[in-house]
Amino acid sequence: MAGTLFLIVFGGSYGLLAAAGVFTVLVAVGLVPRFAGKTHTGARVVLYEEMVILGTVTGCVLSIFSRYCRFGAWWQQRFPDRMNVLLAAGNAAQAVYGVFAGMFIGCLALAIAEMLDSIPIFARRISFRHGIGFAILGMALGKLSGSLFYFWAELHRAAQ
Amino acid sequence: MADVTVYLKCDRNVEVQSEDVYMSDVGSLRCADPAVSAKLRALKVHHFGKRDVRRCVISTLKLVELMEDVCPNISVQIVGEPDVLVEWVDVDRHRGIVQWLKAALVCLVSFFGTAFTIMAYHNDVGINDVFTEVYRMVMNREPGGLNVLEVSYSVGLALGIVVFFNHVGGRRLTKDPTPIEVAMRNYEEDVDKALIATAGREGREKEP
Repeated sequence: MAGTLFLIVFGGSYGLLAAAGVFTVLVAVGLVPRFAGKTHTGARVVLYEEMVILGTVTGCVLSIFSRYCRFGAWWQQRFPDRMNVLLAAGNAAQAVYGVFAGMFIGCLALAIAEMLDSIPIFARRISFRHGIGFAILGMALGKLSGSLFYFWAELHRAAQ
Repeated sequence: MADVTVYLKCDRNVEVQSEDVYMSDVGSLRCADPAVSAKLRALKVHHFGKRDVRRCVISTLKLVELMEDVCPNISVQIVGEPDVLVEWVDVDRHRGIVQWLKAALVCLVSFFGTAFTIMAYHNDVGINDVFTEVYRMVMNREPGGLNVLEVSYSVGLALGIVVFFNHVGGRRLTKDPTPIEVAMRNYEEDVDKALIATAGREGREKEP
């Protein structure tokens, strides 16, 4: 009983502080305001915050309780003769998840780089005046090829 | 006409919906003489000629010059911003299907992006190993099934976010602005400052 109580207090406080930590970073780089500013939908900031909350809770449940979220296994057990539906739906869901998560992470990576003023400082040091658009395009292409190479060469397995 | 003092308070950023910008659009005036005040409010300060130029920066000195042209006997006191950024927006900019699509896009990016971020964070800190170890230490047995630590962590995480962002289901917990609203205002302010500075450097600012 005392152990259970301790675990509740431990887990609860870790959750509270992890939320504060992760979200301070997200707010500090100001990603959502930038999305809202770019799309001129500043009036819907509260809705976007709801999505941030929902997304975090969903991600938390999926990664902490991953052993209860085996949709594929559940479907296979339930409808063994309809595996092609699962294949199509699963691929579609992964494409949606991948595209939007990728956009978010791409923006986050550049926003963090920008917070350290690395691009303006570097541009000033080498007296770089024109063609900042090409530099950004180069960065995007670099990230794309780097990411593809990482997954193609399975570097994540090599690291372990 | 007696010598009167006019106080001019300009905003940094204003949006207008017509091609012509009047003094009353860019700021508020305070003047003891109602006739002078009405005359100055109706003063035209800018005209957007081309459809593609939708933004202009007007120096308040230009406004003072215009005001003094109309009423020579006034002395103008500027109490607001030194430069005004005027944007010409279409009336239907805040509605329509495109707006909904953009909002949906931002919602999707925020939802999946933060879901990915928290999953990557859990992966980075190896949260399942930590939790298993803590469970073993405290309960002296292997964690099986849904355990209390994971549930309380998830509840704590959700609570923490709700307290941090200060609202749940569109309802605010306190009257303070939420962190993203604060960041949004800061961002808008930075953008306005940058636009005004750029216009000044490139000589596009309307000055006397």
